[in-house]
Amino acid sequence: MQADLAIIGGGPVGIAIALALAKTPLKIVLLESGGMSFDAKTQALYDGSKVGTPYVTLEASRLRYLGGSSNHWGGWCRPMDAIDFEERTWMPYSGWPITKKDVDRYFVKAHELCEAGTLYYDGAGKVTGDLGPRLALGPGGLTTRWFQFSRMHGSVLPTHFGERYAGDLKKQAKLTVYLQANVTRLGLGRAGSAISELDVATLDGKKFTVKPKAAVLATGAIESARLLLASNDVNTAGIGNNHDLVGRFFADHPCPRDNATLVLFDGKIAPYYLGNQVAHGAILRAGLFPSEDFRRSQAVMASSITVEGKIDLDDVGKAAVAVTAAALGVDASNAVAHSLGCGMEVTPDPDRRLTLDASRDALGMPKLKLHMRLADQDFAKYRLTLKELGRQLLESRAGMLKLNSRTRDEWFGSLDWGNHHMGTTRMSADPRKGVVNADLKVHDVANLYVAGSSVFPTYGAANPTINLLALALRLADHLKGAVK
Amino acid sequence: MKRLTRRQTLWLGGSVVVVAGGGVGARLLLRKRFAPTPYDDLIALVEDRDGAAQIGETVLAEVEDFEPKTMAADLRTRIAGRPLATVIAEDASDRRIAEGGGWVLPETLALICALAAKASA
Ligand SMILES: Cc1cc2nc3c(=O)[nH]c(=O)nc-3n(C[C@H](O)[C@H](O)[C@H](O)COP(=O)(O)OP(=O)(O)OC[C@H]3O[C@@H](n4cnc5c(N)ncnc54)[C@H](O)[C@@H]3O)c2cc1C
Repeated sequence: MQADLAIIGGGPVGIAIALALAKTPLKIVLLESGGMSFDAKTQALYDGSKVGTPYVTLEASRLRYLGGSSNHWGGWCRPMDAIDFEERTWMPYSGWPITKKDVDRYFVKAHELCEAGTLYYDGAGKVTGDLGPRLALGPGGLTTRWFQFSRMHGSVLPTHFGERYAGDLKKQAKLTVYLQANVTRLGLGRAGSAISELDVATLDGKKFTVKPKAAVLATGAIESARLLLASNDVNTAGIGNNHDLVGRFFADHPCPRDNATLVLFDGKIAPYYLGNQVAHGAILRAGLFPSEDFRRSQAVMASSITVEGKIDLDDVGKAAVAVTAAALGVDASNAVAHSLGCGMEVTPDPDRRLTLDASRDALGMPKLKLHMRLADQDFAKYRLTLKELGRQLLESRAGMLKLNSRTRDEWFGSLDWGNHHMGTTRMSADPRKGVVNADLKVHDVANLYVAGSSVFPTYGAANPTINLLALALRLADHLKGAVK
Repeated sequence: MKRLTRRQTLWLGGSVVVVAGGGVGARLLLRKRFAPTPYDDLIALVEDRDGAAQIGETVLAEVEDFEPKTMAADLRTRIAGRPLATVIAEDASDRRIAEGGGWVLPETLALICALAAKASA
């Protein structure tokens, strides 16, 4: 089978690129491993092993059918900040080869695909004013900022890209979608400098080959690394792996639950901190975020803090609140305590990585092994951010804060994960530091692109999907000129 | 319905007074007595001495070489006769923050609590 462009993977990224290019003259095939709904045998192809720091199992943290992991995502959206793209002296391996400005113009369309309404984010204060005031914080490192949420038309759920866009994909004359089509090998030509064919297999034994002029790998950050590493027939290290980078720098956002206790002396908090609120057609929720200045001056990473449910204080807590409020000259007779949650950025770590395992899946592909690690330093830096929030609350006399975790065991006692897989095919202008270049093309391979959060060199604390969609739409624009 | 007699009413009314009066009296009579310390002036700045001592224990767990007399002298210099609320607001804006049992506290308040803990030890 011939095609101008093969898109491998029908998750949010694959679907976004396919739709963005559907009206061009390009003949496109979209190869999706799954069908229209969950199937246990297909899902088992995601099976893998893990060692090191406790982490979610590889087959449980993603879904393998049309729409990919958007079939169970939470719909939280937030663009990264300009600083997330910068090289930072305190953050090893930081620095994207592009700036936030290079992707900014794609967020409107990305938002539209997520059905997340008008982009408000930092301007959301204007449309939520009626719902109550923002938390009074003294001047300092943290401020209220906003998440927005995806919601599929006519549903209470966020946009499930497969269900939502299957009809649109079908309508496109020059686009063909193959379901149950597992790409098992990216075939490099003899010279090793371009992809010449893709091997495709179904679980019921059918096999075929696609010969595309160019291919986009959009199988999520875990599977994209697997396909590149496992396609090692021409280059024994795999594709794009001349510098041993494929699969390294794996990352996710740790989400330690109940990591701090927020006490508000007057017991009042606007509802948009505690849950989603609809305002002017957008679904919004506020969080507390370290400012760019604070991140620079304190050398901390990004984080997003959310206010959760009410909790009871123990005796020491009650005494701390009573004594502190009295000393500040504030009435705390209506004080209320809330648990805090968060998503944390982690330091890029080349040894947090995916490697091929000896065992194989039902299609004969080597499985993956995840070597998971998490530095104590990352928790310590997040703790500094929390402490600053506590200070700002005291300065405004609005409340106070308790830090609930200090030791590694304490952090891990309540650790959850965002299931935001990132980093395994990082972007860099320098082939020795990254797998793909600023156009998301694999270094040294003329016609292979990787799209998705695997290309993020650093991770920010923003939820990845809206960001990876913006990057994917930018790639689609690039492909309009690059693939003839 | 059983009617209350005047005597019962008086007795009930009286009991309220007694209880209320007893409350005040008990507070005076039963007020916890603490051995005098050279830093009672500082401890007196916080309202709830027992509560302060409770937090102070957790602050002491964080501070090495806490020497009460020296600390008290330093605190007096810092406070310089100003209201405690002013001093701790200044602590917060000047980033003088301490921790006790995870609670983020203005440093001056944390240290006074630590003195209260030492005093009740
Ligand atoms: C529980 C959970 C909650 C989440 N919540 C949020 C959230 O609130 N906000 C947010 O921003 N993000 C969230 N995410 C992350 C979000 O789901 C991903 O960022 C997003 O799905 C990535 O899209 P993708 O297209 O890059 O990859 P995927 O969604 O992983 O899609 C990859 C596609 O490739 C297909 N595929 C895989 N291997 C092959 C192969 N060999 N051949 C052919 N096809 C293949 C798969 O079947 C799948 O359809 C969440 C994830 C999880 C698991």
